[in-house]
Amino acid sequence: MHRIMPRNRREFLTDAFGGFGALALTSFLAEQADAADPLATKKPHFPAKARSVIFLYMAGGPSHLDTFDPKPLLNKLNGQPRPAEFGEAKYQFVPKGAKLLGSARKFTKHGRSGIDVSDLFPHTAKCIDDLAVVRSCYCDKVVHSAAQYELFSGRVTPGFPSVGSWIVYGLGSESQSLPSYMVMPDPHGALEGGQPMYANGFLPAVYQPTMLGGGPRPIRNLDLPPGIKPEDRQKTVKLIRDLNEAAGDVDDELAARIRSYELAFKMQTEAPELFDLANEKQETLDLYGIGTKPTDDYGRRCLLARRFVEKGVRFIVVVSGGGAGNMQWDAHKDIEENHKRMAGQTDKPVAGLLTDLKRRGLLDSTLVLWGGEFGRSPEAQDGVGRDHHNLGFTMWLAGGGIKGGRSVGATDAIGLKAVEDPYHVRDIHTTILHQLGLDQEKLTFPHLGRRERLTLVEGKVIKQIV
Amino acid sequence: MRRIAFIALVLAGPLCAADPEPHWSLQPRSHPTIPANRSPAFAIRNPIDAFILAGLAKEGLTLAPEADRATLIRRVTFDLIGLPPSPIEMEAFQNDPSPNAYEQLVDRLLASHHYGEKWGRYWLDVVRYSETEGFEYDRHRSGAWRYRDYVIDAFNRDKPYDRFVLEQLAGDEIDATNEELHIAAGFNRLGPVRRNAGNQELAFSRNEVMTEMADATGAVFLGLTVACARCHDHKFDGITLDDYYCFQSFWAATQEHDIVRASPAEQAAWKAKTDKIQAEIKKAQKASAAATGDARDQLEAKTKELEATLPPPLAAVCTVRNVAKERTPVHVLKRGNTDKKGRAVGPKLLGIGFVEKASELPADAANPRTTLATAIVQPDNPLTARVMVNRVWQGHFGSGIVNTANDFGVNGGRPSHLELLDWLANEFVASGWSIKQVHRLIMVSSTYRQASPHPAMQAASAKDPDNRLLWQFPRRRLTAEDVRDSILMLAGQLNLACGGPSVVVPVDGDLVKLLYAPSQWAVTTNREEHDRRSVYLLAKRNLRLPFMEAFDQPDAATSCSRRESSTHALQALELLNGTLANNLANAFAARLKREATGPDSQIDLAFRLAASRPPTARERELAVEFLRTRPLREFALAMFNLNAFLYVN
Repeated sequence: MHRIMPRNRREFLTDAFGGFGALALTSFLAEQADAADPLATKKPHFPAKARSVIFLYMAGGPSHLDTFDPKPLLNKLNGQPRPAEFGEAKYQFVPKGAKLLGSARKFTKHGRSGIDVSDLFPHTAKCIDDLAVVRSCYCDKVVHSAAQYELFSGRVTPGFPSVGSWIVYGLGSESQSLPSYMVMPDPHGALEGGQPMYANGFLPAVYQPTMLGGGPRPIRNLDLPPGIKPEDRQKTVKLIRDLNEAAGDVDDELAARIRSYELAFKMQTEAPELFDLANEKQETLDLYGIGTKPTDDYGRRCLLARRFVEKGVRFIVVVSGGGAGNMQWDAHKDIEENHKRMAGQTDKPVAGLLTDLKRRGLLDSTLVLWGGEFGRSPEAQDGVGRDHHNLGFTMWLAGGGIKGGRSVGATDAIGLKAVEDPYHVRDIHTTILHQLGLDQEKLTFPHLGRRERLTLVEGKVIKQIV
Repeated sequence: MRRIAFIALVLAGPLCAADPEPHWSLQPRSHPTIPANRSPAFAIRNPIDAFILAGLAKEGLTLAPEADRATLIRRVTFDLIGLPPSPIEMEAFQNDPSPNAYEQLVDRLLASHHYGEKWGRYWLDVVRYSETEGFEYDRHRSGAWRYRDYVIDAFNRDKPYDRFVLEQLAGDEIDATNEELHIAAGFNRLGPVRRNAGNQELAFSRNEVMTEMADATGAVFLGLTVACARCHDHKFDGITLDDYYCFQSFWAATQEHDIVRASPAEQAAWKAKTDKIQAEIKKAQKASAAATGDARDQLEAKTKELEATLPPPLAAVCTVRNVAKERTPVHVLKRGNTDKKGRAVGPKLLGIGFVEKASELPADAANPRTTLATAIVQPDNPLTARVMVNRVWQGHFGSGIVNTANDFGVNGGRPSHLELLDWLANEFVASGWSIKQVHRLIMVSSTYRQASPHPAMQAASAKDPDNRLLWQFPRRRLTAEDVRDSILMLAGQLNLACGGPSVVVPVDGDLVKLLYAPSQWAVTTNREEHDRRSVYLLAKRNLRLPFMEAFDQPDAATSCSRRESSTHALQALELLNGTLANNLANAFAARLKREATGPDSQIDLAFRLAASRPPTARERELAVEFLRTRPLREFALAMFNLNAFLYVN
């Protein structure tokens, strides 16, 4: 259960405006605002298990072969060309006839479930009984931008709404003081798909992601301009409301606009406390690796993700990796150097987040997804690196009604192709929607003559884990 | 479940050969009888009113009375030029004794250069205009802005629409020596393009490019969602998979063409400078790959600095040409998959939407796009004129007679007034495809001039909640561009210069960091340029200005036939706390002080500028009270946030 119980809209309005004293709206106005509010909480299509989603996005594509999918045969065939019986694969860079590269990582079975996890993730491994590891993921494209669009929107081209936008469109907002869909990019820089990959596409702008910047006040426009005191600006907000009401004829849309100012003001008032981690216990900060070098940044963002969930935010993306390829999980040159560094930055924060959510009773209603836009090639690139690889890779899910301590599907003996129970990234989307109580065929929006949906024309729930 | 849904769709009336009655939009335009006026209380100014009143009468409804002159001048000015009227213009109009004062106002604004800036923008939405390619590199297309100026100019000169279509589809084929025609043909280059390093998926990428060109043409000029037939026979409209690939064949030889406008000496100098910097960048990148920790960070920073010093691309025209030897052999692709090739095809008009059922041309037919464009602009093409007059109607009333402006197929909306649509389309073609003539017809009508809201709104709303019958003028929120341009204008800062290369305004550093290279966002050095109208700001796929995004500016990834108008807290935060709003509130306050003395007249002026009317007694009272303790700039900021400013009645 959520610690902070979401209240219904009416209670919230009374509360918020009561708090404003002079700013109290009439209940008539509140009712009208509700009718026109595209963010009003909507009932799911069927009872939901999850209320929020945190996507721990490992940008660039982490290797399945060195993390969750051990392949003894690959180690045995190290340095040899791929045997013909495994079939063909197209890579972005690796030419035909390249030599296979074994993994230098050690795999150990963990937890009651005894699932293999490599020594890159000692902390995550301790949470294995909460994870459903899907070892048979695949997608359609082997280059970053197209695969990133597909990971977020189910399409290999930009312009389609991301899964986060769809979910907010389907369920509305439960947060009274925050945007419902937040992205925390890696401060190191850009990803190939750029901002369009997170975007709302043709859905109305109200479903757009809020991109968080760095610094102590990461949401745009929450700071008052220099020299303006909050109590003074409140007077301006009151003038706006009074003048808008004085103009008369307040219908649904105008009422919604008046209300959007009250929400904006509330966001602004609550944000400083929300982003100030000083009021967390030291033990909690340590759990996420905050204050210690490689983990500090990702740890902070994971902790913020937990706070957003507590505030009722629906969809949160915490990106690991940004800027030049090697600053992502995009280990073309040296898989060891890259993955040790990237895992070193994220393993403890990820495990910290899972642990913290669980002990606060939030994991039951929060679905956590981990993974990249694809995996990495069994063949070596430049001797000790690995190229992109879309035909078989691993993602994991936890919480939000997902059954932990399971591994699902399998790649072949060298990790080239998903051969047992293959799941397209669209199936991951379908499963997420399902846990949120959304039917992929009912969540549609008319666009250019079609009733578009997140999952194109297909998508199946991964039955073994729900 | 899915099977049932599919059967239901099929039963809903597929437009296939077996269907005896063609879909309404594919039937020839009628020449409807103009209904007689049975409600003498309303002036029938032209047949538009007759058609609308006839529709209303069936439901026992009437038009709202005519709006007052203050409302009308604000409506007409925003509608035609996207800016508020000045107090002087308002006063002149309100006191104009001429019986033709209103018609003269419309004509004056139609003749304004700013008309093209407003109506060109609608067109740019529909063609998904952008100056960059999107995807990973989001490369800038040198000279892409010339297409934007071409469109603005075409609207301003009222270029006959049939010619406008022809030039955009096939300008390069019509006259290869005419630069304006090349710029127009840049239409074919507007779609996103994916490029990547390493192994290329050539067939797939080429198919994507041709798909972009074909799909855009279907949606923009014909109101047909041909894209559905890319993978399967269209479930609703009679477009087969075979038809689709024949249609795509019109672009089989179409290739990118950048015509550099610099002299050979300039080109050589540019190349020398670029090569030198590129060599240094390569060196830094190599060193950075070998380094670790802080050293690597420094080297990466150096690389970025070097990239920023690269010279801007040479002036060019971004267009297309036919290259016979690079012509793509087009095949019918099963499920749209480039690995599943069916028969080879040549260009052929779609099975629907054209008068002539032309046969398939040889794959190497000369000037294929001219052939296509000519068929599209045949005066009796059932779709072309209807689709365009409907776009103009939508621009004035917020919603079209067909409310799916890009989809006139079976799955699209039904026309609320089919006879009116046909009458307007007939007038359009008869006037020599004059778009300005369509504006005149619409704006002169009593239908356009009625008030909002209707005095008996509750009753009318119960019968026709969506106002499809137009019993009142539909209020609309200003577009993103309207809001920004108008705030600049209120502040006395709007730079009304026309045309030229796009302007790059400063944005948050965090957003620039999300670009492929920060050097892609090179802020225009001349500060005055930052206050240009929004249509002249850089249209970059991977970075929209957050202000514009918040107010529903489309993303240019796909054709936007109608803008959303959403309402949310991020808009409030932009207008309350955003840099633009706050800087301009200071300027607006300074202007009020300059032009009026004392709170009373400053309040009066502020309302006249922002709401095109004086304040009511209650508004004045509230403002005076506020200004007793609070500074004028806070009042100025409040004005930007008023519904009286943000909406047009």
